[in-house]
Amino acid sequence: MFGAATFHAAMAEVVVGSMMLATLCAMGCAIATIFPNIAGGRLSSDRVMVTMDKASIAGALLGLMFMPIAALSGSFAADNVVNNALLYNKFVYTGLAFGFWASFVIGRVRLGPGVWQHRSLSALQGATAAMAMLMTTMASSIGGKLVRGESLFDIMPIWLPSDSATVLNPIFSAVLLLVGIAALVVVFRLGPRAERIPLD
Amino acid sequence: MRPRVAVLTIIALLLATGASMANPGGEGDADRDYTCGGSCHGDPALSSPSDGTVTVSVNPLAFSGTATAVHVTASGMSLSGNRLLGVFLLGSANGNDDHPEDHGWNILQDPNGGTRNYVEVVVPPSGSVTLTWVMLAPVQPGIQTLLTEIHHGSSPNSNNWAYSALTRGYVVDVQPVPENLPGFAFDWSPETRVTGDDSPTVIRTRNTTSVSVQWMLEDEWVPHNAEVTGEDDEWHAMLPATIGDIRIQYQVTTSNGDFSIVQPWLTVATEPAAFDGEIWGARIQALAFGLLIIAFLLSLQARLSPWEGRQDPDHTEEVEATESPPEEPPGLEPADDYWSRMVPSEENPGWLWDPVEEEWVADPNNPPEGGE
Repeated sequence: MFGAATFHAAMAEVVVGSMMLATLCAMGCAIATIFPNIAGGRLSSDRVMVTMDKASIAGALLGLMFMPIAALSGSFAADNVVNNALLYNKFVYTGLAFGFWASFVIGRVRLGPGVWQHRSLSALQGATAAMAMLMTTMASSIGGKLVRGESLFDIMPIWLPSDSATVLNPIFSAVLLLVGIAALVVVFRLGPRAERIPLD
Repeated sequence: MRPRVAVLTIIALLLATGASMANPGGEGDADRDYTCGGSCHGDPALSSPSDGTVTVSVNPLAFSGTATAVHVTASGMSLSGNRLLGVFLLGSANGNDDHPEDHGWNILQDPNGGTRNYVEVVVPPSGSVTLTWVMLAPVQPGIQTLLTEIHHGSSPNSNNWAYSALTRGYVVDVQPVPENLPGFAFDWSPETRVTGDDSPTVIRTRNTTSVSVQWMLEDEWVPHNAEVTGEDDEWHAMLPATIGDIRIQYQVTTSNGDFSIVQPWLTVATEPAAFDGEIWGARIQALAFGLLIIAFLLSLQARLSPWEGRQDPDHTEEVEATESPPEEPPGLEPADDYWSRMVPSEENPGWLWDPVEEEWVADPNNPPEGGE
C-alpha cells in the first residue's frame, strides 16, 4: 500500500508531463499557421504539422483522463479538508485548467485537424493550450508550495495570486455552476453548429 | 551547432536542479526525533557538520511538575537563501523516542507558540537567534538530560550538504516538588488566540490562591500589569489583542501565602483567523469556473469557424461598384457614346479599343475565346 499523497504525486506528474507535450505541440501548430515561413517553413510542413497535431490531442486527452484521478487523490491526501488559501486555490486552478483543456480537446475534435489551417482558430487553440498549461502549472506548483515550501514559480516572473483566495458562497458557486451548464446547453443545442473543417 | 545547444541546455537544466536539495523550504514545526529519525541531515553521505555555535541555557535544578524554561541560542552558521533554521529540543539522540515528552517532560509552549519539539525560524540578519521552550518538568524526580540540534542549509552550497549540529547533553536534576508549591496545572497549556481576539486568557493553576500577570510587547523592556480575575485555580487575565506580526509576552506569578513563584515568560500564541472555505465549496466553485470557461471558448470557436448556414456578408454593392463601367468623361452621353466610340480590331477578335480610356474592352456581343 502507499499513501494518497504518493499516488497524487504520480498522477500529477502524468498530467503535467502529458499536458506539457500537448502545449508545446499546440503552440508549434499555432506558430506554424500564423508564421508559415518560420524555421525555413519546416515547422509548417505537412509531416511536422500532422505529428504535432496528433501529439497535442493525444497529450491533452491523456492529461484530461488523469486529471480527475489526480484531483481526487489530492483531495484524499489533504484529508478532504481545505484549511488554507493555497489549498483552496489549488482546487480553483484545477477547475480552470480542466475548463481550458476540455475546450482545447472539444474544439480540436469538433473542428478536426483543419483547425490549424485557419489563422484565427489556430491562434485561439494555441492561446487556449497556453492558458491551460499556465493553470495546470499553477495548480501543481501550489502542491510544491504546500509540501516542500518552494516551487519553480519562485524563480519565474509569473506567479498568479495564490496566497489569498476568493471564496465564493457555496450557493453562489452553485448558481454559477447552473449558469455554466445552461451556457453549455445553449452552445451545444441552440448555438451555431461547428462543423469539421475540410483539409485543403 | 544545434546538437551542441541542445546538450548545453540539458546540462544547464541539470545543474539548475542540483541547486535544489533536501527540503530547503522546511517541513514545518512538528514533533520529531533526532535528525527526523534519519533524514538528509542525518545521512553521513549527504550531511556535513554545521559551522554554527549553539548554546543552551537551562536551570540545572527543577522541581517536578513545575515550569522551567530552556533557552537555545544559535549563531554564526551558514544559511540558505531563505535563512531558515530548524531547531530540535530532544531528550536523547537515538533516532527514536527522542521527544522530551518521551522522557516525562511536557512542553507548555515552543518558541513559535505551539507545543512542538522541532521548530523552524528565519534567522535575522544579525545571524543569531534565541529560542525558548517552556516545559513542565517530569513528575518523576531524577536526573534528566536535554539536548538540542540544529539543521540548516548554505548558500552557495556546491556540494549540496545538509548541515547539522548536536549539542552535548545538559543535565537537569528534577527534585521532588515541595509540598504546597504553587504552579501551573499539569494539564494546562497556553491558549492560541485568533488575530484581533482580546477575550480573557485562561490560566489554570494548582496550590494557588492569587495570581498576578505582567505583559509586554516583544521588544519592550518595561512590563505592564494585567487585570486578573478568578478563583479556585482558574484565572482570567486581560491581555490586549495581537494584530499582525506583533507578539505579546506575559509572565504569571503564582502565590499562596507560603510561596510566590515567578513563572517563565510565555508568548501569546496567535494564529490567523480560521479559513472560511470548505472542500465542497471549492469543488463547486472550480467546476463552475471550468464549465463557464468551456462555454465561452466553445462559443468563440463556433464564432470563428466556418459553419453551415452562416450568412456571409453581402458585398453585392461593393462588387457592382467595382465592375461598373468607368465614368464617362464630361460632355459624352454615357450609354450611347460609350459603346459607339469603341473601335473593332481584326487582329484581336472579341476585343474593342476604347480611344478615350486607351484600353482594350471585351466585346459583349462577341466575347473573346477563353473568357479572358
